[in-house]
Formats: sequence, C-alpha cells, structure tokens
Amino acid sequence: MSSIILKNISKRWGSTQALSDINFQCEDGTLLVLLGPSGCGKSTTLRLIAGLETPTSGTIEIGGKDVSNLPPVKRNISMVFQNYALFPHLSVAENIVFGLKARNIPKQEQKKRLKDAAALLGLSTLLERKPAQLSGGQRQRVALGRSIVAQVSVCLMDEPLSNLDAKLRQEMRQEIRSLQQRLKMTMVYVTHDQVEAMTIADKIILMNSGRIEQHGTPEELYNQPATDFTGSFIGNPPMNILIPDETILKAFSSMLSGPDSSPPYRIGIRPENLTISGESGITVQVVATEYLGADTLIACRFGRQDITVALKGKSAARAGDSIRISWKPEHMYLFHTDTGKRLLETKKDPFP
Amino acid sequence: MKQIFKLTYWNHVNGWLLVLPAVFMISLFTHFPIGSSMIHSLFSMETATRPSTFIGLENYAFLMDDDIFWKVLKNNLVYSLCTVPLSISIALGMALLINGKIKGRSLVRMAFFTPTVLPMIAVANIWLFFYTPEYGLFDQIFAFFGGGSHNWLGNPDTALFCLIVMVIWKESGFFMVFYLAALQQMSPELREAGTVEGSGRWYYFRRVTFPLLMPTTLFVTVNAVVNSFKLVDHLVIMTKGGPDNASSLLLYYIYENAFSFWDTSYAATLTVVLVTILAIITIIQFAVVEKRIHYQ
Amino acid sequence: MKTWISGTGQAVETVGAWMLGVLWLLPVIFAFWSAFHPAEFSTSFELFAPLTLDNFARAWSYAPFPRYLMNTFVLVTLILGAQFILCTLAAYGFARFDFFGSNVVFALVLLQLMIMPEVLLVENYRTISSLGLLDTIPAMGLPYMASAFGIFLLRQSFKTIPKELVEAAQVEGVSAVGILWKVYVPLARSTYIAYGLVSVSYHWNNFLWPLVVTSSVNSRPLTVGLAIFGAPESGVDWSIITAATVMTMSPLLVAFILFQRQFVQSFMHSGIK
Repeated sequence: MSSIILKNISKRWGSTQALSDINFQCEDGTLLVLLGPSGCGKSTTLRLIAGLETPTSGTIEIGGKDVSNLPPVKRNISMVFQNYALFPHLSVAENIVFGLKARNIPKQEQKKRLKDAAALLGLSTLLERKPAQLSGGQRQRVALGRSIVAQVSVCLMDEPLSNLDAKLRQEMRQEIRSLQQRLKMTMVYVTHDQVEAMTIADKIILMNSGRIEQHGTPEELYNQPATDFTGSFIGNPPMNILIPDETILKAFSSMLSGPDSSPPYRIGIRPENLTISGESGITVQVVATEYLGADTLIACRFGRQDITVALKGKSAARAGDSIRISWKPEHMYLFHTDTGKRLLETKKDPFP
Repeated sequence: MKQIFKLTYWNHVNGWLLVLPAVFMISLFTHFPIGSSMIHSLFSMETATRPSTFIGLENYAFLMDDDIFWKVLKNNLVYSLCTVPLSISIALGMALLINGKIKGRSLVRMAFFTPTVLPMIAVANIWLFFYTPEYGLFDQIFAFFGGGSHNWLGNPDTALFCLIVMVIWKESGFFMVFYLAALQQMSPELREAGTVEGSGRWYYFRRVTFPLLMPTTLFVTVNAVVNSFKLVDHLVIMTKGGPDNASSLLLYYIYENAFSFWDTSYAATLTVVLVTILAIITIIQFAVVEKRIHYQ
Repeated sequence: MKTWISGTGQAVETVGAWMLGVLWLLPVIFAFWSAFHPAEFSTSFELFAPLTLDNFARAWSYAPFPRYLMNTFVLVTLILGAQFILCTLAAYGFARFDFFGSNVVFALVLLQLMIMPEVLLVENYRTISSLGLLDTIPAMGLPYMASAFGIFLLRQSFKTIPKELVEAAQVEGVSAVGILWKVYVPLARSTYIAYGLVSVSYHWNNFLWPLVVTSSVNSRPLTVGLAIFGAPESGVDWSIITAATVMTMSPLLVAFILFQRQFVQSFMHSGIK
C-alpha cells in the first residue's frame, strides 16, 4: 500500500499564498498527473510530497502513514528532477547507486539492482560514461534508473521531459508509462503539457492559481470540464469560449434561452465540434487557415470574438471568406460568467 | 578573391595594432626583465672601482654555497606549505558557512572579507602590536592565563609562524570568495536530489560538493602558492627578515640584496631562481588542467 | 509548525559563523579602538575610556599624509585609466581578430599572471631608472598599466557577446571602432566594474614596488608613507601609528563597507574562468 493523501494542504511564502486547501488522493499503483500553467502550484505540491518543502498547514500521508514532519529520505520516495540532477563528476553507474551507497545498502545488492535497472533502461553499455557524454534521452534514463534502484513504490517526477525534443518526449513518455505499470509504481507526475498529461495519466489534477480546478480521468476532463478554465486548458486547439450575443441567441434559440441580450453564461464549443453548415448557425469571417495534413484549422472572427474551427482534411475556405458555422447541442457547454463553473443543465433554459 | 585577401590582410594588421601597445608594455616589464635577469646573473657586481665583468656561472656557484639562500628558500617552503592549505581550508569552511542558511550572512561575509581590502602594510602594523612583548595582545592573553612575556617576532623559533598566522588571517577571506562563487553556481537541484537519495551532509560534501569544487581548489591553490612567493610587504614592517633571517622569504632576500647591499648581480641570480620556481608552478598547473576532467 | 530541518544544527552554524566573523574583525576593531583612544588605553580595554582625535591630529602633523593620499589617488587613477584603454584594445584584438600569431602572443601575455612586475623588481628598477623616471608617480604605475589579468577578463567577457549583435551593428554600417565603443564596451560593463574594483584595491594597497622606486614625499604613496612613519626607529608612539594606519586603510574600507556586495561580487567575477 502506497497511496498518497493530501489533506487541507496550504503553503504560503510571506504574503504570497502559493497553495490553498489542496485535498486529493493518489491511489496505489496509479499515475497521477499534476497539470497546470506555470506558477499554478503544481511543482510546489510535488515538493511538499517529497519533503523538500514543508506545508504551512495540512497533512500528507504516504502509504497510510503521516509523513508531514519526516525528512525526504524517510518518506520512501524517489524523485526525478526537471534537469535530471545528475552528478556531473560521477559515472552513470555511480549516479544510479548514489542513494544506495548513502544508505549503506550492501555492495552485492547494489550491483544486482544496478544491473537490473541498467538492463531495463538500456543503459548497460553506458555505465562508465559521465553525464556530459550522454544525450538528453540517456540522461533522462539515468535519472529514472536512480529512482528505480531505490525500490520504493512512490516516484515523483518534476517535468521530467521538458528538456527533450518533441520526438524523444513522445518515446520517453510511453517508456515511463510502461515502466510505471510494469513496476506497479505510484507516480505523481508534474507537467504543463496537456497532451503529455492526457496520454500518460490515470488521473489528472488540473491546478490553477494554487487551487485544484478539477480532478478526474483524462476523459472526464475532456468531456466534462468543470470550469471554462479546464475547457480551454484541455484539448488542442483549445475550446472556444463565446459570449452569447443576440445573433447567437437567435441562431441557436432551439438550444439556448431566449432573447435576453446578455445571459449570465458563456458558451464553450470545441473547434472539432464545429461544422460548416449551409443554412443554420452564425456567419463568421475567415481570418486565416492552417492546413495540418489530417485536418485544417480555420481562424475566424465573429464580431469582436475569435473562433477556431477544426475540420477534417483540407478545407476550401480562404481568408476573407464568410462561412456559416453551427454546432450540435450535445457538444455545447455553458459556463457561469462569474464563477466559470459549468452549468450542468444545457437545455433551452439553464436558469428556469 | 582579391577582396577576400585584402580583408584577411587587414584582419591581421588590425589585430596586431590593437594588441601592440599592451604587448609592448607587458614585454618591457615582464619578458625583457626575465631575459636581462638571466644576463645580469652572469656578470659580477659593479663597484666604484671595478666595472661589471662576465663571470659565467660564478654567481650560481656562490648561490649554492650561500647558507642564507638555502635558509630563505626553506623558510619560503614552510611558509607556503603552512599558509596555502590552511588558508584554503578556512576559506572553504567560511564559504560553506555563508552559503548555508545562517542569519546575518552578509555581515559575516563582510567580516571574513575585510582583511582582503586592507593594505598589507596596515595589517602588518596592527599585528606588529599584537606580537609586542608584554604589552601586545598575545602576551596579555598569555599573562591572563599566567604565562610570561614572549618576544614573538624576536625569537627565531616563532617569528615565521607569527607571520604565517597573520597571512592566513589576511588571505582566507579572499579565497573564500572564489569558493562562494563556485558554490552559488551549483544547481540546488543536485542538493535536493542528494537529500531525496538520503545522503547526509558529510556524505554529500565528500561525494559531491568537494569533488565539484576541485577546479576552484586548483585555481585557488595556484593563486595562493604564487602569492606566498610574491607577498613580502609585511617583512619590511615586522621583522625585516630577522632575527638572523629566520623569517626572510625569497623575494625579500632579493630586495635586500638589490636595495640594501646593492649587489644587483646576485639579486638578478636570485630573481632567476624565483622566476624558475614560478615557471614550474605554471607548468604543473597546466599539466593538471590538461588532465582534469571538464564537467559539462 | 515543526519542520524536519533540525533547528539546532542551524543555530550552531550561525553561532560558529558569527564567532569566526568577530574573530576575523577583531584586529580591525582593535586598530580603531587604539586610534581613537589616548595611548594609555591602547592595551587596556575599558568600555568608557575617553575618546580622542588627538592621535590623528598628531599623525597628521608628523607626516605629510594629505600629500601621500593625493599621490595614491593619482597613482590609482592613472593606472586604472591606462589599464582600461590598453586592456580594452588588446582584449578586443584577442577576442575578435584571428591574426597571425595571436595564440602565441596571448600565451606570452598570460605569463604576467604568474610573474608579476614586483617579482622582477631589480631589473624593472633598472629600466625605470634608465628612463629617468625614478621617484615619480608614473614610475610606480608603468609596469602595471598593461595588465594580463585585465586583458584576460575583458577578452572572456567580449567573447560571450553574441556575434549577432556585432553583425547587426555591421549591417547598420558601424565602423570597427564604433562596434568596440558602442557594442563591446557597454555590454562588458560589469566586467569593467569588477576589474576596476580589484585593480583599485590592489594598487591602493601595493607596497614593495612603490617602496623601491620612490624616495621623496613628492611621489610616495600612502602605504610607503605609513611604513616609513611606523618604522620602529621613528620612535613615534603606538596610538599615533594606529591612527595613521586607520587613515591609510579607511578610504578603501569605507568604500568596501558601502559597496560590500559589489566588491565581493567583483572579486567573485574575477575568479571565474
């Protein structure tokens, strides 16, 4: 058992409130991603779990034990850092067993664990090299190796792939995921990249300004965004958030509440759910088109609002064209103007 | 083609013109005197009655038999071997303390660094008084514990060590700064990784901090060794090399020969020895630098 | 909230650092104590001993300290000015002109880092003497004006300046001199400050070479003046010597205390290769 539970965690530095009222549980053997824009508190949360920072209030449990006051080494965790934190003067092998030596694990055991980890990560031929002689991906593996040999069930990862190029990042994230599943690790993984989060996570915690915005599976975050922030953060290109004006209200009167000129909600529609329609919908101006191969993104202006449309294949629309777009009621989300919270009722009149 | 030739031609000319003033001045006061020391060391001393004449290696032969030279050389070695490791260790300790989470670190840093900005002459004056028999601070401390009066600087057994203590005080703060710079360049991630991996402070220092500071240690060591051969200002104030040359150092002996005994030929001979020593240090430094592993 | 970082370890370190700091300042504090108190208190430390400026007044009247101070000031300024010009030109040449023999010449220049002019004082005395400059301020400054250390630092700093900036200036039609003056020099500002502070401290405190080439009040700098003043045979009493010592070190000490961060950072900067 090595689930992680954070209860009422908050953290402040002087007058800055970095985290407030963080509560969540990461189940044993699952991969939890802490996702959010920079400065949202995701790294701080991870460092609190690691014990590199102490919370201002609240408790942290790992494997059913309150570890809030324990130093990192007694928390039974391992950690992979953003810049890998490899010791430049030590060889790959020495880097991997650094912690084992520090903890006086017997030599024989060190050797065995090193051999296993190196084989698992494909590092067996590189053990004598220095970090400076390795590629980015190889350094990443060494950092992983160090956390594998510790043989603890909780592994914390702080933006581990941010220094790699796009192709390598994709490979490594698959590798990390399969490693996590094979070794049944409980993993907390910090990233600002929603694609990375969506592809790797069992559960995602989306954070914003030191608070949890939404906690759920990738599908839940995509299909049932709790707020407009989640809606626009998850998915690429991001969800269109529209302020309903009279034209929209009239055009979609079958799904939106009546001719009230400024209802207290905004409309969220994903670009991929917009369609070009002949007769119904609203008329927008095409500003630019981007052909991506599998689909085409069409940037449009509607009055003073921007709308992005994603279409399969190549679109005939040109900049300057006027097109008519529409969407289906089941693809539409309504978010409260003030709180940003999603209104669960998207029928004709959300405010009876 | 012609254009390109012209460009590179001007590149050479302009490059040379830019460096020429500085190179001329440096050769005039570094390379030329090295050469002329060698030449003068082969001539006899000029006196009122006899002009300087070529005497071959006679000055060197004299040097080999000069007990004072050997004594001074030995003093300088003792002086280097004491001041260099001790001031470097203290400097490292200071840097580690200041780099830690202590209160009032900028004040402490200032205290450590202050001796560096003081003139050696002023420092020598102050310490001269500390070492004064009976009235000096050291004797007063000894008197407090029931000790008697000591002529610290007048005793051949203690004079050199008194100077060593003072120089360590003067130089540690200077070397500390280089360690501080190196420590601040170290990524805090490494320390955190060490913490997560369960390395204690001593283990981390021994396995990570100290090895990573090796380039700095080398740099500081070379600086300290060179300083120990060229810093003799305090001798002028405190002991004049005495008693009986017990605290004299090589450069001071050169100064004495040239400007007290006016034996410039022998002074030139001694200069050649000093330059040779410094050259050897340089060569050792380069040999080590070549071998040293460049991290990242 | 209790933290896992042990508080006692930190406290011990703080106390240790403070004690070492006080120990390190003690000689300086003592010098000030002695300078500002009557002679009979220079060895007995009574908290309420009467303060006096008498020692300064007497030191001032015994030796021409204002003249020494001016000589030092002129010397330091002269050296710094010449160093900035000579080192800037040379550093520019070494950093951006790949001329014939540049590596060998640079290596020869670096020799001065190890063998400073004062090591060669016998022959340099001869040179200065044959130039007829003995007992002048330029005599003290000349050997240091072209500084390998300055050239090295500025060259390093010039080399870090991106080529794009230089190329952009070239495209704008700026001449080679203009590029040095408008691109390199402003961008290396922190190096100039660092080197300037190190150079000023060095030459303010330099002693052996000035001692050798000066022989009168006209050129003697503070350090040499103090050494002559404080010589045991001069028979001046202790409090007055410390007052003179305090006068000698004060300008630099005050500058250091005011710009402490800048000083320490400058020395740091100068040590990073």
